[in-house]
Amino acid sequence: MGSQVATLVGKEVRTLFTSPIAYAVIAVFVVLSGYTFTVSLIVAKQATLVHIFFQSAVQLILLVPLITMRQFAEERRSGTLQLLLTAPLREVDIVVAKFIACMAVLLAMTSLTLVYAAVLATYGDPDWGPIYSGYAGLVMLGAALVSIGLMISALTANQIVAAVVSLGLFGILWAIDTLASLLPQPFENWVLGLSLLAHFTPFAVGAMYLSDVGFFLSVILLGLFLTVRALARR
Amino acid sequence: MAVLSLDRLSKRFGARLAVDAVSFEVREREVFGLLGPNGSGKSTILRLVTGYLYPSSGTIRVAGIDVVRAARAARERIGYVPEDSPLYGHMRVVEYLSFMGRLRGITGGALDRAIDAAVERLALGSVRKTIIERLSRGYRQRVSLAQAVLHKPELLVLDEPSNGLDPRQIIELRGLLRHLAQDCAVLVTSHILAEIERTADRAAILLDGRLLTVEQIAHETLAAPVPSPLEALFLELTQAKAMQ
Repeated sequence: MGSQVATLVGKEVRTLFTSPIAYAVIAVFVVLSGYTFTVSLIVAKQATLVHIFFQSAVQLILLVPLITMRQFAEERRSGTLQLLLTAPLREVDIVVAKFIACMAVLLAMTSLTLVYAAVLATYGDPDWGPIYSGYAGLVMLGAALVSIGLMISALTANQIVAAVVSLGLFGILWAIDTLASLLPQPFENWVLGLSLLAHFTPFAVGAMYLSDVGFFLSVILLGLFLTVRALARR
Repeated sequence: MAVLSLDRLSKRFGARLAVDAVSFEVREREVFGLLGPNGSGKSTILRLVTGYLYPSSGTIRVAGIDVVRAARAARERIGYVPEDSPLYGHMRVVEYLSFMGRLRGITGGALDRAIDAAVERLALGSVRKTIIERLSRGYRQRVSLAQAVLHKPELLVLDEPSNGLDPRQIIELRGLLRHLAQDCAVLVTSHILAEIERTADRAAILLDGRLLTVEQIAHETLAAPVPSPLEALFLELTQAKAMQ
């Protein structure tokens, strides 16, 4: 069974990296974060990547839907999902393979920003704690967004619908803390607990809490579980 | 022994009963046709047999294995060509066959041999390294059939395989189905009566999800994948184009 999942992962990674979408997404991500890094380094002259982490998080919210939108929606539209679901595989194998492939694009994209950390190390003396935690936060946020994006893609045969709904949901989950401040207790805390920004901020500034790690892991597992259920509903 | 047996199989989509207590068997090395107008439940039955859909009630057994309870073991024994033959168009033919073979757990030398056998059987040698989306409709259908027989299934399930094919390709497909039935049972749907009559040993007629009858097809008809006079004329007149 492991080799069948590896086969599927290989196919998904090749499909993503042979499509222009992955390269366009990576290029936009690198150009925008590079611009911000250069400007802030020259203007602020601070050996930190905090602003890069926040900007990258927003870019992930905008760009991850472009990676996840076609994963199931396109397979459903073209009919190839029938081939996968009638092969001797479990739904969870297909979901895990697509998750790994999307994460490969996301990690390739994020790892290109490591050059900024290298620049800081060459010309300054950065505090490495916030840099490590910032990258950990980006990976966890990215994985959570991918799992939610996959779930939405599994619910439709239209990749544009998948992208738009994902984008809307990511936007709400990112900024829901502004709504929370308008609500009375205990609703304020409940809504605040759903905010991606509230759980990502500690990572970006160098404070890692188990509660935030637990939140992202829960979102990832819930997203993948619901994707499997969406595929199994037939 | 029956390769496929359906026992009071039903499938409900909300309030609509798409398949209503259908029972029949498909025997070894038999081509079994499912006939019916559009919306009669033919494709739904195939999707239930292949495990793509789950039944609302009733049982499906492939080589004695319950398709729902032992899904993986049952799917290993089925080759499936869905309607319109979906394929990964960006892959080359051999790459696609290799991918589908690996998904079914065939690896190494066994995979190479399986691909070679399928390519030879479906006459795909000349397009082995061609990107699938550049192939004609007829060749894409052959690639679909090749992936379906790669693992030597006991049951081959084909949903409207003649859809979109030109007359020459349809005539070729008839011969191909009879050829494939030498090694496995074939369950095939069509809404074209003549196609089933020319390829199937037995045929079931469906209407509104219900099985009306199962009929034996006269052997003289089967013995004639020989073209009709009009088909023979068509083949003769289009021979030059087909050779290009």
